[in-house]
Amino acid sequence: MSERFWLLLVVAMLGLAPEIFAQDCHVALRGHLYDADTREPLAYATVRVAETGRGATADENGYYVLPDHCEGASYTVSVTHVACEHFTQVVKLVENQAFDFWLSHVAHLQEITVLERAVAPTPVQASQEVSSSDLAAGQGVNITETMKKLPGVTSINTGATIAKPVIQGLHSNRIALINNQVALESQQWGSEHAPEIDPFTAGKITVLKGAAGVRYGVGAMGGAILIEPDPLRTEAGWGGWVHGGMFSNGRSGVAAGAVDWKKAEGTLGLRFQGTIKRSGNLRTPDYWLGNTGAGEANLSVMAGWQSGRWRHDLSASTFNQKIGILRAAHQGNLTDLMLAIESDTPRNNPNWFTYDIERPYQTVNHQTFQYRTSLRLNEKWKFSGQYSFQYNERKEFDVVRKTSAAADKPQLLFDLWTNQVNLALEHFPIRHWQGGVGVQGLQQKNLVGKGGLIPDYDTYGGAIWAMERWRKYPNPWEFEVGARYDFRHSNVLTTGNLVDVDTTLVFGNVSGTAGAVYHFSKALSLSLHSGYAWRPPHVNELFARGVHFGSGTYEQGRSDLRPEKGWNTNLTLLHQTRRVEASLSVYHNRIRDFIYLEPQEELVLTVRGAFPAYFFEQDNVVLQGLDGGLSVVLAGQLSAEGRVSLLRAYRVTRDSGENSENKTWLPLMPSDRFQYGLKWRFGRDEQTTNTHESFVRLLASTTMEQTRLPQEGLLKPAPETFTVLSLEVVHTFAVGEKTLEIGLNVQNLSNQRYREYLNFFRFYADEPGINAGLRAKLTF
Amino acid sequence: MTTKFFKLTLFVLFATTSSLFFAACDNNDDDETEQENITTVQVHLVGAGIDQEFEWSDLDGPGGNNPVIDTIVVPAMTGDISSHIHVYDRSKTPEVDITEEIEEESLEHLFTYAITGANVSITYDDTDANGKPLGIKTIWTSLGASTGTIRIILFHEPSNKDNLSDPGGEADFDVTFPVKIQ
Repeated sequence: MSERFWLLLVVAMLGLAPEIFAQDCHVALRGHLYDADTREPLAYATVRVAETGRGATADENGYYVLPDHCEGASYTVSVTHVACEHFTQVVKLVENQAFDFWLSHVAHLQEITVLERAVAPTPVQASQEVSSSDLAAGQGVNITETMKKLPGVTSINTGATIAKPVIQGLHSNRIALINNQVALESQQWGSEHAPEIDPFTAGKITVLKGAAGVRYGVGAMGGAILIEPDPLRTEAGWGGWVHGGMFSNGRSGVAAGAVDWKKAEGTLGLRFQGTIKRSGNLRTPDYWLGNTGAGEANLSVMAGWQSGRWRHDLSASTFNQKIGILRAAHQGNLTDLMLAIESDTPRNNPNWFTYDIERPYQTVNHQTFQYRTSLRLNEKWKFSGQYSFQYNERKEFDVVRKTSAAADKPQLLFDLWTNQVNLALEHFPIRHWQGGVGVQGLQQKNLVGKGGLIPDYDTYGGAIWAMERWRKYPNPWEFEVGARYDFRHSNVLTTGNLVDVDTTLVFGNVSGTAGAVYHFSKALSLSLHSGYAWRPPHVNELFARGVHFGSGTYEQGRSDLRPEKGWNTNLTLLHQTRRVEASLSVYHNRIRDFIYLEPQEELVLTVRGAFPAYFFEQDNVVLQGLDGGLSVVLAGQLSAEGRVSLLRAYRVTRDSGENSENKTWLPLMPSDRFQYGLKWRFGRDEQTTNTHESFVRLLASTTMEQTRLPQEGLLKPAPETFTVLSLEVVHTFAVGEKTLEIGLNVQNLSNQRYREYLNFFRFYADEPGINAGLRAKLTF
Repeated sequence: MTTKFFKLTLFVLFATTSSLFFAACDNNDDDETEQENITTVQVHLVGAGIDQEFEWSDLDGPGGNNPVIDTIVVPAMTGDISSHIHVYDRSKTPEVDITEEIEEESLEHLFTYAITGANVSITYDDTDANGKPLGIKTIWTSLGASTGTIRIILFHEPSNKDNLSDPGGEADFDVTFPVKIQ
């Protein structure tokens, strides 16, 4: 640590307080110190202000705070780190603004760049970020897998190859996926349609739990998942990383890499990123899962530059995937299904290893193009605009006769085009209020191939929103309030299919949010958040009609469904110190007219025999539960962690009289689950930067048997309680000027035989057995 | 190097964007997808005193209108009635005769017949390319007057054609006709 650290850049919004406001001299100068090369916090550096003569030492997270400074005044801040010469920078103090200093090892002086950050501060709402080690471990698998270590987040699976995130019991159309600030628009209504996101593009994943409709629109009534790429390079020159990984189960390989470049003069930064993946049949402890191979190839490009007060960002990406569907899960009729359910091992199972993918399989192609701009209007206001275009094509290939006309064609095809425009006017603190207003527009066209499950539609939508947040540091209170109006106009049309539909649907409604945080101390805070959100019924829920062969059910939509409206409240206690990190969240989500599939008493007779009928119904429901997480340093390098997710989801039926609330459980809700483990860090100098992480971690996950479920329509009892173990060993070290991270990750360490209630293929086969993954990532 | 990288990036950006707009101009021809819908199963009986077709038909697919099912009427005490099954997709115009595809892929298909109540026996009158049962053609022999049902299943990709009660594979259709021997 003998190199000199130079101040590289000051983040965000050096807005100057207008003279019309009286100067407030109780504003704190605070922020974080980071190592610009590794993006890790820089602990124990000293920050001193020349004008007031006051100083403070940053804590282990790189956080510093100097209270009682005057808003709008200029201060000379000097930062000193262990064994380094101090460095100074003049800043103009703005309320509610964290001044983050990025310090670099580079010996020569860099041009100081000021980066604009979105005005909207982190929400009051319960949110959780995937830790960087979990992100790295899960990148070779899929985006859902990376999030499952967060309390309250589970997944709903279709076999071992398709997984979707579930937040506090809600998924699919009730969760918004925001990838690089663009809301992902694809066929997310289907529970066997996995999100089209490359985990290798993610630098950070944040999960917002509960109604997030005001920020993210009608798709976010159950929560939102924000996937953000790493920021573009700010130092001139080259950078990037290459990642290679192998997994024993499925004999899969993954290669990914990114190259970053920043122009020496000027502000232009570029990134080029790509991923390719291939895997073969997976294996349970006892047999192969025939036809569970998959392949993926993704590319993305990002560019960003500054011209005067304008900031421009451009990105384009393509995501291409082919996924095999477990052959044994393809059922002709109910007799086949019952035989499959009774059999302990899958019937019609190609019980060997191959990389070949046969029918049934699906291919998905998703393209995104985005242009984003922002303009500093003046010291207090900022304008931002975004246009995005997405094209999603999904093809599903079923088992067909080889000589038929269907043999070289998909049996289902969905094409979806989406154009979105977002405009926002945001402001920096004015009398301690910070926030903005905005409008959004959406145009969408959906075309379904002949004989598809859902009709074609054309949708126009719009929204207007406003959001404000109050914070007067060091006042312990923080408040947030927001409102939004959304409307959707859809023309739904289908001809040539077995059922003709031609209708216009119009939905419109308000969403609202309010929250408060009380900071007992820097380490302890309590927040209460309440949100009202809605969602119009999807065309699938309105017009679906057909047999769902994977589940052996006949499903039928109801064209008179009303929008769902949810009122979600959560109370979160957060405690964060050097030794203990704890979070505890209780939530209550009351949804009016919740739409779900209800088993009917009659069977529907088809040419393949009789199928049990499920109709889309709606009812008032309650989802409530508790999410908790605890991590404690036991001694020195050893720490223990534990997480708990509990959920109770039931229908509220009113016809039984005014004094009794009859509870009937909702189907397909996650059962209670617990995670607990030990982590031992090594090779790390506690007193210096925590740049490189090296650790061994043993984690157990126990999933309880789901006992709270409706008995009707349950073809097979819910699987028993199971515990799976995972082991992770990560070592990071320097190789010359580069960083090399080697990771060994063993899933299902004890080769446990189990089935998961939230996997639609639990009827047919066990979950995969032991899977050892080895990865290496070189950052340069 | 730097300029090359910049050019490469611009090229990829351009290529991705243009492929995206190219895709947008694609007008999704309806012929891109093809589904196999069996709407109609026909049993054609020819023998002494009979030459008649009986149909199990559900033209609008699962749900909607109920299937229309004929009662198979067989003269009593008659042997040597030959039965030929035809399978159609009548949701398409012109209708698709799936029977031809089944004959071509005889190894991957098997019809099974299960009789309940009716005094009629059925024997296979054809084999697949390996000499195993197929069941497009059968011989029916009736006894005294009675009523019952006959369940006909077409298995696709059966794993064991020797076990007619559980040949494996999956059902392409599974229909039950009422039967009357008179």
